[in-house]
Amino acid sequence: MVLNARVLVVRFRDVSKRFGGQKVLAGVSGELRPGRVLVVAGPNGSGKSTLLNILAGLLRPSRGEVTYAEDERVLSAEEWFPNLGVAAPDMALYDELSALENLQLFARLRGVSGHDHASLLLELGLAAAHHHKALGAFSSGMKQRVKLAQAVLHRPPVLLLDEPSANLDEDGHQRVVRLVTRMRPATALVVATNDPREMAWGDATIELAG
Amino acid sequence: MTEKTWQKGLKWLLGVWLTGVTAAALLWAPPAAGFQGDSFRIVFFHVPQAWVAVLAFCVNLVASLRYLRGRRPLDDARATAAARLGLLFAILATITGSIFAKIEWGMFWNWDPRETSIVILLLIYAAYFALRQAVADEERRGALAAAYAIFAFVTMPFLIFVVPRVYASLHPNLVEAARGTVRFKMDPHMRMVLLAALVGFSGLFTWLYTLEVRVARLVAARRAQEEA
Amino acid sequence: MQRSSLLAESLAILGKEVASELRRRVALNAIGLFAVTTLVAVAYQIGPYGLAEQDRPFLLSALLWIILFFAATAGLARVFVKEEDAHTAKALRLAARPLAVLYGKLLFNLVLLLALEVIIVPLYCALMGFAVRSVAGLILVMAAGGAAFAVTSTFVAAIIARASGSNALFAILALPLLLPLLVAVIAGTRAAAGSMELAAVLPALRAIVSLGGVTMVTAVFLFPVVWRD
Repeated sequence: MVLNARVLVVRFRDVSKRFGGQKVLAGVSGELRPGRVLVVAGPNGSGKSTLLNILAGLLRPSRGEVTYAEDERVLSAEEWFPNLGVAAPDMALYDELSALENLQLFARLRGVSGHDHASLLLELGLAAAHHHKALGAFSSGMKQRVKLAQAVLHRPPVLLLDEPSANLDEDGHQRVVRLVTRMRPATALVVATNDPREMAWGDATIELAG
Repeated sequence: MTEKTWQKGLKWLLGVWLTGVTAAALLWAPPAAGFQGDSFRIVFFHVPQAWVAVLAFCVNLVASLRYLRGRRPLDDARATAAARLGLLFAILATITGSIFAKIEWGMFWNWDPRETSIVILLLIYAAYFALRQAVADEERRGALAAAYAIFAFVTMPFLIFVVPRVYASLHPNLVEAARGTVRFKMDPHMRMVLLAALVGFSGLFTWLYTLEVRVARLVAARRAQEEA
Repeated sequence: MQRSSLLAESLAILGKEVASELRRRVALNAIGLFAVTTLVAVAYQIGPYGLAEQDRPFLLSALLWIILFFAATAGLARVFVKEEDAHTAKALRLAARPLAVLYGKLLFNLVLLLALEVIIVPLYCALMGFAVRSVAGLILVMAAGGAAFAVTSTFVAAIIARASGSNALFAILALPLLLPLLVAVIAGTRAAAGSMELAAVLPALRAIVSLGGVTMVTAVFLFPVVWRD
């Protein structure tokens, strides 16, 4: 399997975020490198999703900064978005489109072609019978599998997973484990989670206080 | 952030100037031909108010552009201050214009091009604040408001130049009435007072704007202290 | 990592919008029903004989555009608001270039508007007895007016979707910006109604095209800020 071999490093320094009067993140720092898994742990409301959104570049930190560098050259937002894969609970795919149509859309937008989306869906445990059904009819577990497929279909060097096993049964969780194992060598992974099984993947952990 | 002496001096000068202008407008300027009684005196207040409403829009534009460039909260505060004053003066200009229209032409509202333009400006200001109120996140609020203000500013020249021209083809009889005001011969005294009023009102805007920005700076400083 | 062209991305988004809309038809229903209901109400109240002859050219032009305007505001904001409501905006934000999103959704709104015009205008002319002398002139004004309308509406929709997303806010923000355009298109329609010469619509057409062009360029500069913030 061809793996992505570019070295993309993400550094975040002293990242804080406040919403109005409420301080949600206080001075978090760290680094993401291919092959390493960073686990972000903490109770509900501790800012895990907020940190991931800031790392993705979707949210501006109130203080601190996030830098994406490819082979030591700093990337602009336009340049680093294509390198990201994200799956999160606050994110949905298009209910009116089928699972395959969703993946085809995102593949076209990202400029990746020739990938076998059906195999990817099967790998994540979505039976072929469902591939052409509209997402609106799916259970949350089924939607989660399509969401994960969308996150990895372009083989991103940086993968941000917010509660990847949420809504998944044991079989689904095992498939996520296999996916993470497969992607790990060439990918910088961040997993935000409360699940102890997922926390065990981490080479490094950031604990956020509630 | 206390006032410096020269700023205090300017403030007093402004007060004296505006008093003088008001006195001149109400007492000294001789009546102009073609106006009903003393109604022309409204012009000394109405025109500067409309001018300040537009000036405020320009200040807001600059502050909005700067905010998008550097994301400094102070620039957002500047934009808001300018918009607040712009809204106030646009309301005043509409009211004084309406009073004038009632006296001159017997109707409170005419929809002539100038009136329409100032109302649209008023609506833009109101929309600006409606937008600000609808956004909770501070950084996003500033960015969205700035984007709207810049976009709205771009349509302004069309308001001022295109609408009147196209309008004339729709309402020829009303434009005749409006032309009456535009073409009147201004007595040199009247022109002097009008100019002085323009300067005075601009000064008034500058003073109020500086005050608001100073308050915003203090609020930001206090907030930074609390966070530290 | 190879990227697709801006055109391909824009078309992909346009395709997605069309497919979604054809399957759910929310915007189509809203706009279509609004337009037809208003048209029927106006035609019933006023009809071909309800207006004095000298008022007809101006009033009929104005009424037509008011119907189109309000019908459009019932559905044009949806293209951005539904992305935020359904939480699909995040995935799109990560996958597509901002300008592709703007162009794709703008084209969709344009198609919606032009479809609205194609259905409503002939119906209106028939029901209200609106005799238009220069059909070519009318078509030009409708096309250019619709395009300029779509540009401003789409940009404002993008802004309000990131705010409260309500249609009321959309109307409040869009109306002052659309008024100059409204004046120009009404004048253009009136000119097309009154004269067989194509040249009669030129002054209004110039205003419409320049307004549309200026707002388009400004939208292209400002949209990435609105979308990504």
